[in-house]
Amino acid sequence: MKITIDGRSVDAQPGQTVLDAARAAGIWIPALCYHPKTGKAGRCRACVVEVEGQRGLKESCALPVREGMVVRTDTPRIHSVRRMIVELLLSEGHHNCISCQANGICELQDMAYHLGIDRPGLRIDSHPTPLDDSSPGILRESDKCIHCGRCVAACQNGVVNQVLAFAHRGSHARVVCDDDVPMGQSSCVQCGECVQVCPVGALTLKQPRERKIRPYEARPTKVTCPYCGVGCQIDLYTKDNRYAYAMAHEQDWQEQPNQGMLCVKGRFGLDFVDAPDRLRHPLVRKNGELVEASWDEALDRVAAGFKEIKEKHGPDAIGFLTSAKVTNEENYAFSRFARAVIGTNNIDHCARL
Amino acid sequence: MNTKTRQALARIGSRYPSRRSALLPALDLLQREARGHIDHESLVEAARVAGVPLSEAYGVQTYYTMFRRQPVGRYHLQVDTNIPAMLAGADKIVSHLQKRLGIRPGERTEDGLFSLETVEDLAACGTCPVIQVGDRYYENMTPARVDKLLAALRKGKLPDLPAQAHFSSQCNILLARRGVERAFDIKVYRKHGGYGALPLALQKKPEEIVAAVKDANLRGRGGAGFPAGVKWGFLPKDGNKPVYLICNADEGEPGTFKDRQIMEHDPHLLIEGMTIAGYAIGARLGFIYIRGEFAWIADILERAIEQARQEKLLGENILGTSAHFDIVVHRGAGAYVCGEETALIESLEGKRGNPRLKPPFPAAVGLYGCPTIVNNVETLANVPYIVQHGAEAYKRIGTPNNFGPKIFGISGHVRRPGTYEYPLGTPLDELLRAAGGVVGRLKAVIVGGLSVPILTAKEARGLVMDYDSCLKAGTMLGSGGIMVMNQSVRIPRVALRAIEFYAHESCGQCTPCRQGSRVVAELLRRICERRGAAQDIERVLELCATIKGSTLCPTGDAFATPIEAMVKKFRPEFEALVR
Ligand SMILES: Cc1cc2nc3c(=O)[nH]c(=O)nc-3n(C[C@H](O)[C@H](O)[C@H](O)COP(=O)(O)O)c2cc1C
Ligand code: SF4
Ligand code: SF4
Ligand code: SF4
Ligand code: SF4
Ligand code: FES
Repeated sequence: MKITIDGRSVDAQPGQTVLDAARAAGIWIPALCYHPKTGKAGRCRACVVEVEGQRGLKESCALPVREGMVVRTDTPRIHSVRRMIVELLLSEGHHNCISCQANGICELQDMAYHLGIDRPGLRIDSHPTPLDDSSPGILRESDKCIHCGRCVAACQNGVVNQVLAFAHRGSHARVVCDDDVPMGQSSCVQCGECVQVCPVGALTLKQPRERKIRPYEARPTKVTCPYCGVGCQIDLYTKDNRYAYAMAHEQDWQEQPNQGMLCVKGRFGLDFVDAPDRLRHPLVRKNGELVEASWDEALDRVAAGFKEIKEKHGPDAIGFLTSAKVTNEENYAFSRFARAVIGTNNIDHCARL
Repeated sequence: MNTKTRQALARIGSRYPSRRSALLPALDLLQREARGHIDHESLVEAARVAGVPLSEAYGVQTYYTMFRRQPVGRYHLQVDTNIPAMLAGADKIVSHLQKRLGIRPGERTEDGLFSLETVEDLAACGTCPVIQVGDRYYENMTPARVDKLLAALRKGKLPDLPAQAHFSSQCNILLARRGVERAFDIKVYRKHGGYGALPLALQKKPEEIVAAVKDANLRGRGGAGFPAGVKWGFLPKDGNKPVYLICNADEGEPGTFKDRQIMEHDPHLLIEGMTIAGYAIGARLGFIYIRGEFAWIADILERAIEQARQEKLLGENILGTSAHFDIVVHRGAGAYVCGEETALIESLEGKRGNPRLKPPFPAAVGLYGCPTIVNNVETLANVPYIVQHGAEAYKRIGTPNNFGPKIFGISGHVRRPGTYEYPLGTPLDELLRAAGGVVGRLKAVIVGGLSVPILTAKEARGLVMDYDSCLKAGTMLGSGGIMVMNQSVRIPRVALRAIEFYAHESCGQCTPCRQGSRVVAELLRRICERRGAAQDIERVLELCATIKGSTLCPTGDAFATPIEAMVKKFRPEFEALVR
């Protein structure tokens, strides 16, 4: 169907919202609380539009398209609401993009930039809330929270870990873990899904911060998580070919095995690639000491060892343990090697992890 | 926890179609058991009973002001300081209590006997100042009565200090039995003509009742004036889901204290109205969502419901017919926004009282996802009359398009503040006369509860009190809570107190209301404390203008509109403070 946005005729699919249709057509509507994974919330009010023939403002994130509807996103009224929202969100003076880990990927910053808000005009007194850095992987700065509710929806309904909730009300409302304990002492499993959806710097990963890498300096590479058989698709962010941090791959997230989510291992466990004590070459024991060797030398030693055991004690003196972290094909090849080459059925795997 | 508590918790759970609804009553019960607060163990238990994660239970607990994390004194004294109370001198009561007890609001005496708190509107606007102690209200408080109260409490006794409530009724429909002794008893109610409409209703087809209510053009008395019959007509015709009826008894709008007159003194009128409405819309279960502070009124309603059940006026096969209907009284826990119908539904489902996005409207998707009708107490109390006397008789009361009786709650600077039942369309002057006239010279009046634009004395002259006339006069009839202010009142103070209320009550979901109310409050505080600049007045006006219409639910407008009106209409008073 066709709808009209700001005088432009735009294609729309039944079931789409006005926000979806506008975005697909490249029309900018700010939306701080809507996220495809957590759905409409109606909380931020940044996305309001006017519809011809209807009174008042409508939230475009919850407004279904209708054939022939005429929408405006560029009236003075809408502009003043958008400005007010940014001004209000900045009014307590806790945002400082210079030192913020979200700088460059922050949706509030983007909105302020688009609206040309240079310096917030409203200022009220406010006491800073202490940071919560109690958890191993996530830093919480609740003063930067814009109450979009994405993290709560993600934790409650997405990953169903049910740790995060809104507590208190009005301007005292804030996101808490369990009954308001530090994240590190809560039932949080550090899946990081809340960070993944947070539009601002209220929830950030510690890994890039520790490495002093800003998000815009890092490049994503889509990889498959090496830890388990689910095959989660990860955007592995690197800078200068070194690990920065990991995010679930969100493009076409509904088609990914992990639907844009990760567990603690995929999220935080890939930093081993840069670990200084990581094995990088085969080691062979010589005179009781492990020394670096070439692959040829190492494999020759293994083959010789197998042969010797098989001759002396028979093939069943050898056992094979493979891994749930490798692919089916690799496991198949491994089992063929055990059965056909060595001649034993002593083969098992670790389906844990 | 003892077995008695365990059994009580299990009973609570079984009252509701969904276990989650047990969360608020469970928290309430556990708080009573623990002498006034909820600790970690109680919270874990409540979460278990309701089947919700701990995080959500905590979110719910901290949403409602009646649930406390910290222990309070044996007697927790809560003084209403909202605008009607402020006009009646609540500040003096607070300072008197501070002097007598040696503690400030938020503190507890060393012996643990008393704690003091200032609270928002308790719906006792006509009998302010009011102090809530436990489940009881002490009204018409003066320093002398405070001393009496404290003396009795020190002896471990909750004294009887009757309030002086003024009322009169010209229509004899809603307040017909207001002065009748024991009218809450079904026998007395019957003797005075009660339960005359229900048998008539059960002889009719449900559609005929809906048609009569539509024909009578009964407009909702909760504030918006939406025709009840039309709303009932929005229910899906051929749905297979249960239909629920909810009576909105949250009565949280400052200046409003009318619904409690019906529930406290004539509960069967409401029960009869609900039963007829339930029959008309095909509901088998109804809820009365009553604000938690009205605990003793909730008890009255529960006793009346039990009486009605005994007499087969509620329950299965009402009066031997095939009609079934029952009522559950559900207590809120201190949250103004839960008066908004979708927030109320969320709250009844055991959640934080966050209003829902509309559409869908409750008539399509309401309680537990089922079609639901929400009506105000007073609206439902009109239904028996319409059924018994017909739409034509009903339409002889009031003015065209604004039919029927209305309870006007008059508070502030009048000689006899109270509740007065007059036809819609009665001139404001006549109502003020009924309330004994203005004390001093009239300066301004808010005619429909705090959320409507204030009127200057000049604007109020000749005002006719019905929905359409008030709209034409640039304000709204709202709930019919009339707050009268004489020349002693400083409007900037009123504006500040008003915005403090809304900032305290905002559910916090959406940006313009959550943060807007906070910023407007801060700006007005600056102005009132003479720390402001002329620019701050502009900022307040700009913010109000932008907030209007931008929020998720009508609460944004509910404060932006009246604050804007106060600043615009009394601007010189604000300007004098920033010079
Ligand atoms: C912030 C807010 C508070 C409200 N409080 C109440 C209330 O305390 N009692 C009430 O009956 N309606 C209240 N309403 C109106 C309800 O949403 C709803 O319209 C009403 O209960 C419908 O009943 P009626 O049609 O019979 O008037 C409130 C609305 C808002 C926006
Ligand atoms: S959260 Fe966004 S707006 Fe706030 S400081 Fe960080 S980058 Fe800036
Ligand atoms: S890391 Fe995962 S479990 Fe922990 S709070 Fe965030 S979403 Fe919930
Ligand atoms: S922490 Fe982030 S995701 Fe959660 S509500 Fe705040 S801004 Fe939104
Ligand atoms: S306007 Fe927004 S914040 Fe205010 S009560 Fe309604 S939903 Fe909550
Ligand atoms: S994106 Fe629509 S209200 Fe936030």
